[in-house]
Amino acid sequence: MNAPDYTKGYWNPFLAGIALGLVLLLTFYIMGTGLGASGAVARTAAVLSHVAAPQAVEHNLYFNGFYKSGANYPLIDWMVFEVIGVFFGGLIGVITAKRFKLSVGKGATFPVSARLLLAFVGGVVGGIGTRFAMGCTSGQALSGGATMVVGSWVFMMTVFATAFVAAYFVRKEWQ
Amino acid sequence: MTGPLYLNEVISVHTSLFVAIGIGVLFGFVLERAGFGDSRNLTSIFYFRDMRVLRVMFSALVTAMLGLVILNRLGLFDYSLLLDYSLLKTYFWPQLVGGVLFGLGFVVGGYCPGTAVVGVASGKIDSIVFLIGMIVGIDIFALGMPLWGAFYKSSDMGRITLWQYFGTSMETMAEIITIAALGAFVMAWLAEKWAPYDK
Repeated sequence: MNAPDYTKGYWNPFLAGIALGLVLLLTFYIMGTGLGASGAVARTAAVLSHVAAPQAVEHNLYFNGFYKSGANYPLIDWMVFEVIGVFFGGLIGVITAKRFKLSVGKGATFPVSARLLLAFVGGVVGGIGTRFAMGCTSGQALSGGATMVVGSWVFMMTVFATAFVAAYFVRKEWQ
Repeated sequence: MTGPLYLNEVISVHTSLFVAIGIGVLFGFVLERAGFGDSRNLTSIFYFRDMRVLRVMFSALVTAMLGLVILNRLGLFDYSLLLDYSLLKTYFWPQLVGGVLFGLGFVVGGYCPGTAVVGVASGKIDSIVFLIGMIVGIDIFALGMPLWGAFYKSSDMGRITLWQYFGTSMETMAEIITIAALGAFVMAWLAEKWAPYDK
């Protein structure tokens, strides 16, 4: 079977991995903590919800952590700035490779509307998962994994085990 | 200079925010070059079509892990600061449940949070929808805190590493993980030959 177009033009995965590992190593060397992503989404959720219901958010048992008295505005945060960087880094990558294209990633025959619905549902479920796990693939699996943290390895193994099993039930989404 | 620079107060909070943007740009660029701006490249691992995600993740993890162990040995990095102050804490059961939910979200939604941001930069509409879903999910989590707040902070094991848990040394644990990663690369290669969904 010929490799489909969307797999072409990228770096060798081992070289990309070593490059990613060096970025992570640099992060630990400078900051003493690793990379992250979901924390920035959580802060965004807090700020957006705060616009709609400031009192409820400030008293919410989870969001109140971002609204302690004397604390910075929730978006003035290391990980939020890092994720803004991720967007621009991704954009530089996409533009220099001439890969920017408005499209929906899905299996060839799967309907667009169904794919977008599942992207939403996956986002909701995954989003809840990041809060219980206190991190995602970047913060827990990669950064916690590289520092050999017990909970991060538990998380990583559970993520992959679950996804390999669940994949069977959504195989048409990606066929 | 001995790292970590921030914990050693070599750089200020203010400087660290500029560093954050620079680090993020590198992170996002590498994720893009790895092919992770497209949900199809992220999910094909689960169908044994292209084990790229495993290769990138484990080679990144091992590179950073060995780098830190070596820098620590050379006296250029103070690992004990991590163990005392900045290592992620382990909450066993919440992280296991979080892993199950996150695994479902990953294969159904097609992204994880960081790669979805690169997806947005790539013009992928599904990644925008995924991130909107995540925000809704985090709101649901926050609203449900009265229900699951106690569980969320349960089974707190503190800052604990695998080598401490198994009673071995940092170096030995790093060697075991490196060998396991090499084994996983061989398994990945075999799994692509197997490709059960594409027969």
